[in-house]
Amino acid sequence: MRAKSILVAFVATALLLAACSRDDDGACPDESPTGDTLIVLTHDSFDATDEVIAAFEQQHGVTVTFLQGGDANQVVNRAILSAGNPEADVLFGVDNLSYQRADDADVFCSFTASRRGEIPGDIRDQFGDTKTVTPTDFGYVNLNLDRAAGLPAPTSFEELTDESWRGKLVVEDPATSSPGLQFLASTVAHFGDGDWQDFWRDLRANDVMVTDGWSDAYYTHFSHWGGDRPLVVSYTTSPAAEFFFADPPVDEPPTSNVIPGPLFRQVEAAGVLRGAEHPGLARAFIDHMLSNAFQSQIPSTMFVYPVIPDVETPDWWQWANVDVEAAEIDVDQDEIDGWIREWTEIMRR
Amino acid sequence: MQRRSTTGWRWAIPALALVVPFLLWPLAAMFWRGVVPDGSLSSSVVVDVLGDRFYWGRLAFTTGQALASTVLALAIGIPAAYVFALIRFPGRALAKALVTAPFVMPTLVVALAFSQLLGPRGWLNDLLASFGLARVDALGTIWVILLAHAFYNVSIVIRLVSGVWANLDAQTEEAARLLGAGRWATFRHVTLPALSPAIASAAALVFTFAFTSFGVVLVLGAGGRFMGGPLDTLEVSIYRLATRLVELPAASILALVQLGTTLAALTLYSSLQRRAAVTQALRTDRAKPFAATSMAERGLMIAVAATLGLLVLAPIAALIHGAFTIGGDGALTGANFTRLFEETGRVSYIEPLNAVRWSLTFAVGATLIAVIVGTAAATAIARSTGRLTPLLDGALMLPLAVPAVVLGFGYLTTFNRGWYDLRGSAWLVLAAHALIAYPFVLRAVLAVLRGIDPRVPEAARMLGASPWRVWRLVELPIASRALLAGAVFALAISLGEFGATLLLRRQEFATMPIAIFEALGRPGEANLGRALAMSVVLLVVTTSSFLAIERLRYRDVSPF
Repeated sequence: MRAKSILVAFVATALLLAACSRDDDGACPDESPTGDTLIVLTHDSFDATDEVIAAFEQQHGVTVTFLQGGDANQVVNRAILSAGNPEADVLFGVDNLSYQRADDADVFCSFTASRRGEIPGDIRDQFGDTKTVTPTDFGYVNLNLDRAAGLPAPTSFEELTDESWRGKLVVEDPATSSPGLQFLASTVAHFGDGDWQDFWRDLRANDVMVTDGWSDAYYTHFSHWGGDRPLVVSYTTSPAAEFFFADPPVDEPPTSNVIPGPLFRQVEAAGVLRGAEHPGLARAFIDHMLSNAFQSQIPSTMFVYPVIPDVETPDWWQWANVDVEAAEIDVDQDEIDGWIREWTEIMRR
Repeated sequence: MQRRSTTGWRWAIPALALVVPFLLWPLAAMFWRGVVPDGSLSSSVVVDVLGDRFYWGRLAFTTGQALASTVLALAIGIPAAYVFALIRFPGRALAKALVTAPFVMPTLVVALAFSQLLGPRGWLNDLLASFGLARVDALGTIWVILLAHAFYNVSIVIRLVSGVWANLDAQTEEAARLLGAGRWATFRHVTLPALSPAIASAAALVFTFAFTSFGVVLVLGAGGRFMGGPLDTLEVSIYRLATRLVELPAASILALVQLGTTLAALTLYSSLQRRAAVTQALRTDRAKPFAATSMAERGLMIAVAATLGLLVLAPIAALIHGAFTIGGDGALTGANFTRLFEETGRVSYIEPLNAVRWSLTFAVGATLIAVIVGTAAATAIARSTGRLTPLLDGALMLPLAVPAVVLGFGYLTTFNRGWYDLRGSAWLVLAAHALIAYPFVLRAVLAVLRGIDPRVPEAARMLGASPWRVWRLVELPIASRALLAGAVFALAISLGEFGATLLLRRQEFATMPIAIFEALGRPGEANLGRALAMSVVLLVVTTSSFLAIERLRYRDVSPF
């Protein structure tokens, strides 16, 4: 009984504190970038060269610590669960599918990065007309084909339900995997509501394999590695990564990009967490993420495309240069939740 | 009797000191968030979830596969326990350590190994094809899940049961034989009842593990269906819901159902076991040298070796094979191990020795806490005679039934203010590891304490010994062997813990499973190679620490 009332008191206090701190217009405190440590909350796929981080550390006399806890979705959940009382100063890894959720929970304070204007408008627009987060990179989820299988690449989403692709495709579950959700978004954009459901029913009838996450799909079921399925939902940059990480080196990637139609474009962004201990440093770090030095190392560390146009990229990045049309899709949080519920009904019941 | 009951509960204090802040509080906070999101209980979610036949199907599937997995682990584990307990064959310690090694292997890596063995392009299908037989696709079936559960858990049965078997008084069995009982009758009426506390302890642990199985089902059961539904345990359903915050209410309700079912099963087991416990005189190790074994025993040894070889050693071999061949163009290569130590000049780089060091630090710390907490809790349960004791017993096992993702998020949302803002602190990782490690010590020690003839500590008490002295001089020495078996699993569970560590870690104190996961999250040969090489490092570190603990037994604790 006593324990329960303590708990009630605790939760009430927490709610009260959260409510009190929602006051101003939401702008980040404009203080100079000082402090000993900057903490960046980010997902497991985050990476950067030591060099580019050290440059920031030296410039500001600070140590940067990365909190990498879970995938993009889990990291946004973490930020939401600690809104107003964050465990870090910067969140990197919120994307255009999870942004609204984070914004509804008032996770960020807003500020304008100095190079914001150089980011193409259609990328900035992915986060509404607010300045709460700053886009840093983008990418596409598509199909990767194992070239050793010697199959002609499918040219449309519809083709995937043909008999010739029976039992050959492995996809990730959109409820648990970010690439899975992005691929679902592409199919929703392509088929439209009412028809995407039929497409997935047909895929199921065509013996599609669904895995929990990307690693499992790619390394256990994709025929280039352990499995027997020559077509996998992965990234347009994965063939380039295969090329980069091949040992001994190869002349061209062992897998190829398949673009079945317009693809959902995932834009990743960074924001200053509301209530951050070092908002000045946090702003400086996000500015740093848009610097040429940072942007040009993005391909080789995170295998996504830099948002600042025309920054220098390595030669092998040619394998990631694909001609993709970004799918037109309005991502509303309730709709996303609805897709996942429906998809789960269709594919798993 | 009255005195026993009251002194008993005092021994539960260390466990409560761990369970209340590090399990109940974060759990309550998570449920509160989930079930009462806007300050009022939303009953429609409760009705939706509990009225959904799909979830009742999951509960049935979860229970059924857990029972089947337990039976399978016992069927393989008990004969193996005989061999490990009673025959002193060369390489016994190493074999025992290797059989326990699966316990720490990350599911993603085990899935790779199983796919190498049983997958469409695996060794089994190569073998079948060479005999002209039809291919089998075992992945994504209920069978591969049961096999994987046996792979992970058979060592629990082997260690807990052989620990007691080796010390059973042979004279009772000999007396039965002299009185004309056959070999089988002796086993059934004399040996089996004496082993029953240990068998029941092992069964309870295996059941709990299989009931809350997550990674195995998620990865090896991918795409599979059984009796009209997906191969999802409740834990998988909880994870699928909890990972999207909007479904947290539904996830919380399912988690409550899972906790409730586990608690009910364990309480039932505990009260049954208390009734069935047979006390006995325990003697010194009675293992005989290999040369003195009978033909039947040698036959048994061969059967056990073949079964464990296929079940446990073959996947491990597949894994090691992968680590030495990926990126070798078909030839053996050590490149993946060299690669582990190559500074990549990136933020993501985890220095392998640093990962080993942190893994061992957490494991040793968690094991020490688990030994103290678990032994005290076992004493509490063994000494209490109250009607609520089985409930306490069941409740103290709950750390094993809490989804790691719930625990991880629970910590992040509770230890977040003022002096207890422990987010990003290694202490939280240690607390989580200790919390899920102590139930092993508890079960192992309790199995022996329950078997002690109450007249022995009674006599000591009558001679004027304090309860503490009785415990230190009588009960602890008898339980020491079981304590070490429990410690091995506490160590193993910490070395292998992944789900909570993933949410609580920092790069500076990343553990070996985190390093493996990190590498497996990126495409390309070098990354797969690093992941497999790191898995072999984990395997070697784990096996050596098991061997080290075994040595400890002989040096510091005298056999009784």
